[in-house]
Amino acid sequence: MAGGRFLVLGAGGLGCPALLGLVGAGARHIAIVDCDDVDATNLHRQVLYDLGDVGAPKVEAAARRLRALDPRLQVEPIPLRLDERTLSSLLAAQPADTVVLECSDQPDLKFLVHDLCGEHHLDLVIGGVQRWGGQAMAVRHGAGACFRCVFEAAPPAELAPSCAAVGVLGAAAGALGFMMAHLAVALDAAQDVAGTLVALDLRELRPQQIRPARRAGCPGCDPHAPAPVRGPLGPACATAAGAACSR
Amino acid sequence: MPNVRIPTPLRKYTQGREEVTIDGETVGSVLDGLEQSYPGIKERICDEAGKVRRFVNVFVGEDDIRFLDNLATAVKASDEISIVPAIAGG
Repeated sequence: MAGGRFLVLGAGGLGCPALLGLVGAGARHIAIVDCDDVDATNLHRQVLYDLGDVGAPKVEAAARRLRALDPRLQVEPIPLRLDERTLSSLLAAQPADTVVLECSDQPDLKFLVHDLCGEHHLDLVIGGVQRWGGQAMAVRHGAGACFRCVFEAAPPAELAPSCAAVGVLGAAAGALGFMMAHLAVALDAAQDVAGTLVALDLRELRPQQIRPARRAGCPGCDPHAPAPVRGPLGPACATAAGAACSR
Repeated sequence: MPNVRIPTPLRKYTQGREEVTIDGETVGSVLDGLEQSYPGIKERICDEAGKVRRFVNVFVGEDDIRFLDNLATAVKASDEISIVPAIAGG
C-alpha cells in the first residue's frame, strides 16, 4: 500500500465489498459517501450491514463496521447527496494521492465522477453491476484509455434496465466490488493497470479483460477535444423513477 | 461461423443464451443476422442511423471495431465478437 487513501462513492452493492477489500488490503484512510439508509431488501448484497442496521444511515453503519475490523483505520463517513457542485467540492478537497471508487448506481453519475476526477487529477475505478455480472475499469487520466474512450456516454434511462426490475446477484456485486478494491490498490501502488477494463459474468465464470487504445478526439482524455456535454443527473438504476442519490 | 458473446442485459432476446454463432463476413452482417434470429436485439446495439450506440462497444477478439472499420470490420469464422454495454448498476 502506497498512499493508502481512498474515497468510496456509494456504500451499496459494490461499495460494501469494495470497502471490505480496501480494509483487508491495509488502507489507512477511507472516506465513504452515501445519502441513503440501510434497507432490509438490499442486505443480500450490501454485506457490511445486518438487520440491526436497518434504517441507519449507510455511511454510519459502514464506518462502525470498518472501525471494528481495523481500529487503526481512519474512516470518514460523509452523508452527502452527490451532484456536480457537491461532487466537485468533495473532489477538490481530496489529497492528490486519493484513489476514488465509483460504486453508485447512477449511470450519469459514473460519467460525472469520471470527468471531474480528470479535472482534479485523481485516479479512479468505475464499477457497474446488474443481474449476474458487470464490469470494473481502472482509470488514470493521461495514462491509457479512459472510461469515455470505451463508452462515449451513459445509456439513456429508457434503454438501461433498472436494477429494481432485473435484480442484482449478491455474489456478482461481491466479486466486482472486490475487483474494484484490487484495481484501486493497484493504482495506489502505481502498478500497470490504468486503462484496464474487466468484465465478469458469473453465469459464464469467464472474466474478460480488455485494454482498449486511447480514442483520438475522446472528450474524456484528449486535451484538444471539446469538453464532454453534461446534463442534469438522471435517476438511480436501483429505482424505476429513482431519487438522484448514490446507493 | 463467428461466435457472438451476448452481454447480460441483452440475453432476454436470446432466451438466456450467453453465446450464439451467427454467419456473416463483417460485424455489420453478423449483427443483421443476430437481429434475424433474435428480433429486437439490434436496436439495443445500434441507433436509428445504424451506428453502434455510444454506450455500447463492440470488440472482435481484443480489438475495438472503432479502431478497425466499425461495422464494416471483416470477421472470420474463428472470431469471437463481444458486445460490451456500459453497466449502470451498483
